[in-house]
Amino acid sequence: MMDVGRHPKINLLAYSEIEEITGYIGNFHVKVRKKARYVDEKACTACDECVKVCPVVMPDEHQLGLSTRKAIYMPFAQAVPASYLINMEDCLGNNPIACDKCAEVCDPKCIDFDQQDEFVEFDVGVAIVATGMYVCDPTILDEYRYTKYENVITSWEFEILTGPGYVTKGELLRPTDRKPPKNIAFIQCVGSRSEKRGNPYCSNICCMNTVKDTLFLKEHHPEIDCSVFYMDIRSFGKGYEELYKRSKAVGVKYIRGIPGDIVEDPKTKNLIVTVENTTTGKIEKHEFEMVVLSIGVIPRPETEQIQRALTLSKAPCGFLMETHYQLDPIDSPTGGVFLAGCCESPKDIKSSVIQASGAASRAETLLTTGKVKVEAITSTIIPDMCKACGICADACPYGSITVDRKAKTPAVVVEAACKGCGTCGAECRFDAIEMKHFTDRQIMAMIDAMFEEKPEEKICIFACNWCSYGGADLAGLSRMQYPPNGRIIRTMCSGRVDEKFIWHAFKKGAPVVLVSGCHFADCHYINANRWTQKRIEGMWNKLERKGIRPKRLQLEWISAAEAVKWTKVMHAVEDLRKTVTKEEIEETKKILSDKKKG
Amino acid sequence: MAEELRIGVFVCECGINIAGTVDCDGLTEWAKTLPDVVFAIKNRYTCAEPGQQEIKQYIKEENLNRVVVASCTPRMHEPTFRRCCADAGLNPYLFEMANIREQCSWVHSDRKQATQKAKDIVKIAVAKARLLESQKELEVPVTQAALVVGGGIAGIQSSLDLADAGYQVWLVEKEPTIGGLMSYINKTFPTMD
Amino acid sequence: MAEEVTFKCLRCGYEFKGTYDRKVPEERECPKCGSNSIRPLPKKKEK
Repeated sequence: MMDVGRHPKINLLAYSEIEEITGYIGNFHVKVRKKARYVDEKACTACDECVKVCPVVMPDEHQLGLSTRKAIYMPFAQAVPASYLINMEDCLGNNPIACDKCAEVCDPKCIDFDQQDEFVEFDVGVAIVATGMYVCDPTILDEYRYTKYENVITSWEFEILTGPGYVTKGELLRPTDRKPPKNIAFIQCVGSRSEKRGNPYCSNICCMNTVKDTLFLKEHHPEIDCSVFYMDIRSFGKGYEELYKRSKAVGVKYIRGIPGDIVEDPKTKNLIVTVENTTTGKIEKHEFEMVVLSIGVIPRPETEQIQRALTLSKAPCGFLMETHYQLDPIDSPTGGVFLAGCCESPKDIKSSVIQASGAASRAETLLTTGKVKVEAITSTIIPDMCKACGICADACPYGSITVDRKAKTPAVVVEAACKGCGTCGAECRFDAIEMKHFTDRQIMAMIDAMFEEKPEEKICIFACNWCSYGGADLAGLSRMQYPPNGRIIRTMCSGRVDEKFIWHAFKKGAPVVLVSGCHFADCHYINANRWTQKRIEGMWNKLERKGIRPKRLQLEWISAAEAVKWTKVMHAVEDLRKTVTKEEIEETKKILSDKKKG
Repeated sequence: MAEELRIGVFVCECGINIAGTVDCDGLTEWAKTLPDVVFAIKNRYTCAEPGQQEIKQYIKEENLNRVVVASCTPRMHEPTFRRCCADAGLNPYLFEMANIREQCSWVHSDRKQATQKAKDIVKIAVAKARLLESQKELEVPVTQAALVVGGGIAGIQSSLDLADAGYQVWLVEKEPTIGGLMSYINKTFPTMD
Repeated sequence: MAEEVTFKCLRCGYEFKGTYDRKVPEERECPKCGSNSIRPLPKKKEK
């Protein structure tokens, strides 16, 4: 930590928030709001005189409110930057006539009640997101009555209560009577691994954290009886199983079963824990003086801000999405942006450090190369056709298109920021966008070629490059068999599939058209496939109005792993194709050539 | 676009992977009848060195300005063949692939039907190839500085690594101090220090 | 602006009720056959 404060190459902006990030790989412009500390952090000598005279006492956030701090304070002794700050909401000195005790005693004169938030702007070529995690809310499991019983605490509070910075100097005392507890229970998976309450995922670190806590207690107080209620103990890392065994060896009891209820004895304030012991199959009651809820973790809520600023994707669990689970676990979908630590998934310190060094290395590759090749498959605006309606700018998942609607000037694409999904091209109603390498003309010509002969036997399939086309490839690799009537047109994203491609296919005699893309969570262009769905929903209505059966246009989300689904869908669309007669096709062609020109 | 189109089609047998189900000789002969196709040839393994040499050779000898390879998925060998075209002096974006393995020979067993489908796949690829245009990959400079958002253990490690490598780092932390959740913890597993 | 609508699976024809918000697209799947061709039927008249 100190090294960061001292490093000549690091500009530390603490107490600061990202306001805005614009630009693209290699060329980001960042605007940061540096909040007023009311203390000049460079001049401050951390002499502590100001704190001594400050009359305002407030709960200390860094001790989870379990201790107090003054209105002028340092979060903790080793803080970097080593400077005080004033919480203006607590401070009386807003009006210096009321109180300016701290300013009076401050020798270097670094307290300034008039300090304002500052904006700092700078350019960078790469960004590493390391926004970390936060803990779950323990009240979601109300059977543990966290808010009602004082002797029920969270594992995070346990950390504070046993920390050297706490008033007891690391001595664990029971909240109700300030005596060391004779016995203590830890309940695992609070807020984790539950489909109903909290989160479905495993929070990864809580098992080992509890093992650590029990050992810590046993080291100092072998007389404290420790019990752990668990589903499974996940001690998968190097040295972890050994630590778990050590904890068992010193007498920590591990009881398989997650308690269903905690009731307090009003006299003793002891806690009666009811649990189904899944080893013995019996319902048991245990009495403890204290209970620690081993709470799971969640992404930091503020992550959303940075997610929007850098157009990152979130996995269904809420953590940020990597480009590829196994092969690209550090790169984010946005070029030049890398993920480190718990913003990507819950992990322990070692894994965070590993990923952080990995992210730095990935970033250095770009920085050292000094230049970067960006995708040739990008969109281009045809200025003469553009009506500046702005729908392309709305559709672009990367914010790479800007339109001045008022001035009616044609849209502008920042090619380096464009990832080539083609959604803008599909959404443009004026054919004013050309998608390189996947042009309208090219795709229309492919449809023409497809239906030149025996159109009634063929199914026109649009498959996105990343998922659906990959799913089809995997079906091949797995030698799954399906009817040979589908003809695939590959696009980078299902968002590229323009309405007019689908109309054209029907006009050329397609019995069935299938549009397939990634599942929502997997979209390689953040959310471009949402536009696909909207478009298809609109087309179903239009088809119905024209007297064409909407079901002849099918939509499927198929991942690169879902070879079985791909095969099933191929059978389903073939079954559907068989229901479309030559007469129906002829009628469709007639309807479309009558009512719709071109 | 005054230039005359000269498309070459290279059909791959992939050993018996494609040839086992698709009549590759028939497909090659038929491909010659497609519009603007001036050359078509079959190879046992187009992705192997001799196969690639053949593409380079015929691009030059036959003056090809569009190349279609009918073989496996572009997700596998598109980069290989693009490079191959580039080596022969052809813009890599003037190349198109027809996937007659993963999406044809491997998923169908009826030789007649599979061959018919393979013909369609090649025809569709040629239709696209006729309209392909050269593309240029844009190169942009990289600003020599990094942003790190978050001053927890991960952000600190990344910042130090980058700074030690000599790059300017902007470390932005929301809280008044760096340290993140780490700063709340007094002992860590598995070393208990 | 979520509203109650009838969804129709365009593969198997199964109909079911649910909430639909044009502004917030959600991935939908037929509870019967697993298809994603789920059409929110227009409000006014249902054929």
